[in-house]
Amino acid sequence: MRTAALLVTAVLFPAAIAGQGSGSVTGAVRDTAGLAVRQARVRVRTMGPAARLVAITMASAEGTYRVDSVPAGRVIVDVAMIGYFPDADTIDVTAGQTVTHDVRLRLSPVTLLPTIVTAAKRSQLLDQAITSVSLVSREAISARAVNTVDEAVDKAPGVQFINGQVNIRGSSGFVEGLGSRVLLLVDGVPANQGDRGGINWDLVPVDQVQRVEVVKGAGSALYGSSAFGGVVNLITRELPTGAHARLRATAGMFADPPQQVWGFRDYTGIQDGLDVSASYGHGTMRAGFAAGARHSDGYREQDKADHWQASGRGEWRPEPAMLVNLSGAWASDQYQVPEPWCASGQCADSGQGFQPFRIDTANRGNTTRSDKGYFTALVTRTPSARIAWSARLSWLRTRFTDVYPERQPPFAPADFSVANRYGGEARLVTRRDTGQIVTVGVEAAHSDVTSNVFSGDTTGGGGRHMQDEYAAYAEAEQVMGPLRATLGARGDFLTIDGGGVTAFVSPRGGLVWPTRSGTWRASIGRAYRAPSLAERFVTTYALGFRVIPNPALRAEDGWTAELGRSWSPVPWLRGDAAIFWTEARDLIEPATTPSLQIQFQNLQRARLAGLDCNVTAMSFGPHVTTTVAYLYLDARELAHDTVPERALLYRPRHLVTLTADYSWRSVGVGADLRYSSRYERQDPLFPGDPQLGGKVLDLRASWTTGPLEAHLKVANALNYIYNLAPRVLEPVRTTTLTVAYTY
Amino acid sequence: MPRTSRGLWCLLTAAVAAACNEGLKPQTVCPAGFQGICGSVTFRGALPESTDVVYVVAYATFPQSQSDLFNFQPLPPPTLGLDSAARTRSQPYALPLPNGTYHWVLAAWKKQGALSQQNADTLLREAGFYKNPADTTKPGLVVVNGAATGIDFVVDFSNMHPVSYYFP
Repeated sequence: MRTAALLVTAVLFPAAIAGQGSGSVTGAVRDTAGLAVRQARVRVRTMGPAARLVAITMASAEGTYRVDSVPAGRVIVDVAMIGYFPDADTIDVTAGQTVTHDVRLRLSPVTLLPTIVTAAKRSQLLDQAITSVSLVSREAISARAVNTVDEAVDKAPGVQFINGQVNIRGSSGFVEGLGSRVLLLVDGVPANQGDRGGINWDLVPVDQVQRVEVVKGAGSALYGSSAFGGVVNLITRELPTGAHARLRATAGMFADPPQQVWGFRDYTGIQDGLDVSASYGHGTMRAGFAAGARHSDGYREQDKADHWQASGRGEWRPEPAMLVNLSGAWASDQYQVPEPWCASGQCADSGQGFQPFRIDTANRGNTTRSDKGYFTALVTRTPSARIAWSARLSWLRTRFTDVYPERQPPFAPADFSVANRYGGEARLVTRRDTGQIVTVGVEAAHSDVTSNVFSGDTTGGGGRHMQDEYAAYAEAEQVMGPLRATLGARGDFLTIDGGGVTAFVSPRGGLVWPTRSGTWRASIGRAYRAPSLAERFVTTYALGFRVIPNPALRAEDGWTAELGRSWSPVPWLRGDAAIFWTEARDLIEPATTPSLQIQFQNLQRARLAGLDCNVTAMSFGPHVTTTVAYLYLDARELAHDTVPERALLYRPRHLVTLTADYSWRSVGVGADLRYSSRYERQDPLFPGDPQLGGKVLDLRASWTTGPLEAHLKVANALNYIYNLAPRVLEPVRTTTLTVAYTY
Repeated sequence: MPRTSRGLWCLLTAAVAAACNEGLKPQTVCPAGFQGICGSVTFRGALPESTDVVYVVAYATFPQSQSDLFNFQPLPPPTLGLDSAARTRSQPYALPLPNGTYHWVLAAWKKQGALSQQNADTLLREAGFYKNPADTTKPGLVVVNGAATGIDFVVDFSNMHPVSYYFP
């Protein structure tokens, strides 16, 4: 590539090559995460009244460039690449010398129209999707210096985490991590837990994530169960050619309780972590490996946590049109269980109604060990521009042990669950000259759970349950003049413990209509979620009451519709807005039986409707970017039996996110502000508890020089003390310094 | 500066100012505006080894049978701190309740084990109740209209009774 570039330079600018009193300029073009920007355009110009173009060249596959025969004196070097802000700088060239000039390019959120792969299970431009999609870029993840993916996704428009449970437009509420209504994918492979149906956000090392695609609204027509409220797809980084390595170290501290009466320890809590990754690519083979560990003292009583992780990936491209990909990851967490906080009388409460930093003494000593891992084999082949197919096999394993030293017989002093989920999928995408794209596929999964808490045995014994899922789907997109029309459906067949088959059909249709200033989109589809094995068979003990299984639990389902528009009237402004409507029935919620036992039941008819919009502006040229995102959510439980219509629990009506970033040369500063309004309805299980909205300000600063980068983050800078889940204190002000070196 | 950008920056500044609002604050057991019953309990006797938990509950009407036992409020009921330090001093409690009249405010000791309607009388014991100041052999009536304070009583682990003891 370098030879070709020099040849182009020599042909176009022979005078420059033949010049006298000249030097050379060399350097590397990288992004803010330190990775090479291939094929960036590098232009060298002289200055002054007789300014002229000296040379144009392209950065190599490693991101390096070299321009020879540059006239001595001050010259301008400008670098540009699609999807990045351009960079320009002056340098002084000395005759006979080589000047090194490295460039860092920042991703441009406005000028870049990304390609996405999740909304239609194939590549398409963002503006071609029939539903709303939010993207979290690698740069955003890097700038926020987060340790787990959920910390980065939390600020995406329309997304909110409640004690680790993800809500897309209020989809899940809070059910103690059971039965997520959002499907997690890792490179397109389903990764929700086989037992609880929840999500392990630390399954993939955050440093390995290239970007996150958040597809909003029902995704059941392509992804089946769990995609009731949306899909989150973690796209991992591409493996580059050559040898690369990265070292990332973090250290931070938690603020002490702001009120003396809440004090619980006589030292300041810290957290630290170390991650390393390396990759090598040559010819048709590429491989990468990453490992890391971190420790946290936590910000409240009994909150210490240790985490270890390792991941690996290999790629083989036997021919240009074919790619074989093997990937896997393993993570282990050992942590103290800090929830719920201490209410009056449940600890040394100092006469307070609640002690948010202390725990109920009945939970003293509770710990959890959680291990999880996955392995995926994926083959993709694109024999022509008209056809592509892929096939994958995957295995996800989760295992946890909860230890309760204060528990008394007959209840076991520990709960455990071991779950495996084996999956396979084959997919075919065809494209015709008539503008028709058809995606068809089949999918199968087998889950097994061995557990004493999800056994269905009300005496507390262990047991094993299995769930088999089979599915077929097809979706077609047809270009009709300016319109793109999409129609498809998926059929899911489910059996529990080898019993009878339950079938669901989830159709979906949509239209995309591009105009001069933007794009309209509309869609309607069916959503469904089968109950997790945990919801069916949970048997445990809480608040002195037995939690009993409900093997007859049915799937919850609904219809969701959306009308949206994206627009970009001027190059520095881009917006997106959507009104959405979901009618759901048989929502699964915990209920109290007449015999005072707690059981998951099909309870609610619900309606979730609202407005989800965001605007991004680059206000001062390329240096400042601001984003405003607003979600208005009207989440209602509809009237049934003797229950009147009322607000759904754990859904704020207003969710506002403001983001601002400023960068100048190698320095950047930024802020995120998240406001969520107070819940309209108090959880009847916690009637006297305080209840506030959330107002959290995160600040960040970064500095990069060559391969070195440093990020300073102050999360919850105002040390706003609040809770979103019952009796679970949200993180206090946390200051973190992250330093990374990329080779 | 373009008008849109100026607007966004004004919005951001206003939002940051609004975020300077305070979050949760220390709150006494019976804060201003509380609705329900507040008081304190003092302890007597040795804590039985089989103790699981001690609840404080209120009944709008005195339970007449075992089926009435679960008509208590609030749900879930608050519990008392039982470590030795907590039992050496008077312990405040608060029951968030709707306005109304409550005929029995008591501490219910629970033995270890899973509670059900069938075994309630086996696992639960009355460990102390708010007494009528005029006749301390009888439960005291509590009228809640906002916060009813000073509802103090003794929890005596050496003098507990099955709840059925009080059925007519």
